[in-house]
Amino acid sequence: MTSDAIILITNISRSYTMGDEIVRALQDVSVSIGKNEYIAIMGPSGSGKSTLMNMLGCLDTPSSGSYFFNGVDVRTLSDDDLADIRNKEIGFVFQTFNLLPRASALKNVELPLIYAGLSSDVRHERAVEALTSVGLESRMSHKPNELSGGQRQRVAIARALVTRPSIILADEPTGNLDTKTGQEIMALFQHLWEQGNTVIVVTHEEDIARHAHRIVRMRDGLVESDGPNDAKTI
Amino acid sequence: MLRLSEIAESMRIAVSSVRANLMRSILTTSGIVVGIFFVVLMGVFIKGLDSVWEKTISIIGKDMIYVDKWDWAGGHSWRKAETRKDITYEQAEALCLRLESPELAMPLARRWGGSIMVGNKAMNCSVMGTTSMYGQTPAGEIEFGRFFNPMEEQQGTNVTVIGFGVAKTFFPDGDAVGKTIKIKGYPFRIIGTIAKRGFLFMDFIDNQTFISLEAFKSIYGFQDRSFEVGIKAGNERMLDLVRDEAVGVMRQIRNVPPGAVDDFSINEMKAFDSQATAIRLGIWVVGIVLTALSFVVGAIGIMNIMFVSVTERTKEIGIRKAIGARRASILMQFLLESSMLCIAGALIAIPLVQIVVFSIRFFLLNILEMEAIEAVSPLLPVDLLAIAIGVSIVVGLLAGFLPARRAALMDPVDALRFE
Repeated sequence: MTSDAIILITNISRSYTMGDEIVRALQDVSVSIGKNEYIAIMGPSGSGKSTLMNMLGCLDTPSSGSYFFNGVDVRTLSDDDLADIRNKEIGFVFQTFNLLPRASALKNVELPLIYAGLSSDVRHERAVEALTSVGLESRMSHKPNELSGGQRQRVAIARALVTRPSIILADEPTGNLDTKTGQEIMALFQHLWEQGNTVIVVTHEEDIARHAHRIVRMRDGLVESDGPNDAKTI
Repeated sequence: MLRLSEIAESMRIAVSSVRANLMRSILTTSGIVVGIFFVVLMGVFIKGLDSVWEKTISIIGKDMIYVDKWDWAGGHSWRKAETRKDITYEQAEALCLRLESPELAMPLARRWGGSIMVGNKAMNCSVMGTTSMYGQTPAGEIEFGRFFNPMEEQQGTNVTVIGFGVAKTFFPDGDAVGKTIKIKGYPFRIIGTIAKRGFLFMDFIDNQTFISLEAFKSIYGFQDRSFEVGIKAGNERMLDLVRDEAVGVMRQIRNVPPGAVDDFSINEMKAFDSQATAIRLGIWVVGIVLTALSFVVGAIGIMNIMFVSVTERTKEIGIRKAIGARRASILMQFLLESSMLCIAGALIAIPLVQIVVFSIRFFLLNILEMEAIEAVSPLLPVDLLAIAIGVSIVVGLLAGFLPARRAALMDPVDALRFE
C-alpha cells in the first residue's frame, strides 16, 4: 500500500437490515487508491459495487473497518463534514446525470461552488471554464431538457470537475448513452486522467472497464480480484 | 454557519419553487391570508378605539376632576355611595370658595332626563345648572354664540347654552342661537351651542343643556338634590395637588372624622378608561380566537404542502447533498419556502384589510356621520404591517420545520435512489 494513497479502505463491511433480513452488501473489503490512478470497479448487479462507490464517495459510512480519505478517518466525521468532503474532494458523475431540471447548464455546474461558499463572480468564471473544458461553451444557458444525453453527461462531468476535486467518481457514466456517445464520454475521462485527475469508474460493462488502468472486480460483497488492466484499450 | 452564497441559493430555490406551483401556493396560503386579515383588522380596531378615546378624553379635559356623591366607576362603589348624604349646595359652594390650588371650581346641579321641547318636538336630555365659569372649561367650549355671563348667572335670566346633540336634534341647520327652547315648560333663549365633545360611548355628554344655577333652582329646586363640584386643575401636573386639597377641604366641610373613609368620590375622566379597556379586551379576545384558528388551519395546510414538496423533491435533495449541501442548507431551503408562502399570504391579506378599513372608515364617517372616526388614520399603521409580516414568518417557520427537518435528515443514498 502506498503512503500517498488518497483512499485507504481496510476491512470494511456494510450491512443493511431489510425487514427481518440482514443484507451484507460489503464484507471485509480492502482497497487502496493512489493519486492519478484510473480504476474501474466491476461486478454484476448485487455484487456490492454500488455500495462500495457510496462508501468511496462519502455518501455512506461503513458498519465496520476503517476508511481514510486523504489521511482523514471518515468514520469519525459528522454528516456536515462528510458533506464538505463530497463538496471539495469528490466529483460525482451519475448514470442518470442527476442534473437539476429547472436550472441551466451553467447554474447546474455552479451549484457545488455555491455550497463551497464562493462568490458569484468566481462561481461564474469557474463554471464557464469547466463547461468549456467539456466542449459545452455554446450550450451554457440551456436547460437539461434542451440537451442531448451526451451533453447532459458532459454538464454532469463539468459539475464534477468544477470544485477541482481529488477524485472523480463515475457510476455507470455511459449506462444511459448510446455506444458512440459513450465512447466520447470515456475519451473525456481518459483526457481528465491525462491531466492528472484520479478517476474511478463503476461499471458492469467490460467495454467501459477496458479504458481503466486497474480493475477491481467485486462479487457477493467481496473483492474478487484487484489488479492492472492488461487489456487496456488506450 | 451558513454561507452567504447558500442563503442566496436557498432564497432563489424558494422563490422558484413557489412560482413553479403558483396556484397550489396561493390556495395553500389562504389560511394565512385569513389569519393576517384578522390580526391586522383587530389591530386597526384597537388602535382606532384608542385614538378616538384619547380624543374624547383630551377634549373633555384631562385636568378636570369632579367631586360627587356618586362614583363614576359604578359597580360595588355605587351601592356604597347610595348610603352617603347628599352634597348640598352650601357644601358645594363652600368647597369652591375654599379651594386655592385649582384654576377654576364651580358647583354643578344636574337633572338627568329633563324634558326639553322646541315647538312640538321633545327630547330628554340632562339639564345642568352651573356658573359662567363652566364656559372656560374644555367641556364648555362654545361653537356658536357665547356662554352665559356672571350677570345672567346672578339674575337667573332664562338663557341657555345647548350641547351639540341637542342642537343637532332641534336645529340641524346650525341656526340654534337666538331660538327659544322650553325646559320643563319654561322658555329659554338659546345664546350659544357647545362644540361636539363626546365620541364613542361618551356621546351622552353632547345631550346636555346648560342654565344658570339660579334658573335651575327656580325650575327644579335645590332640595333633595346632590350637587357636584367641577374643578379644573389648570394642567395635568397639578392634578395630584388639587385632588389632595379637594379631599382635605371636603372632609372638613362634611365633618368626616379622622381615619374614616371619604363620604364622597373624586371622579376623573380616567374613570371611563375601564369601559374602553373592556371594549379593547373584547376585540382582543374575538380577534385572537379568530386569528389563532385561521393560523392553525393555515399552518397545517402549509405543513402538508411542504411535506408534499419535500417528497416531490427527494431526488433534488439527494443531488444537492451529494455535491456538498449540508443539513442546515437544506433545512433553510425549505424553511425559506414555507416562510415565503406565509409572507405571500400576508402580502395578499394586507391590501384586502386596507380596502376593508378604508370602506368601513368611509361608511362610518360619511354614511353614519361619526366624526370621531376622523381620528383614525385611513392607512394601515406601519407597526401593524411589521407585526403581520413578522407573525407570518413565525408561522411559516413553525409550519415548515417538520418537513424541512425531514429533508435535512434525509440519507443522500436513499434520496438519490428515489424515483
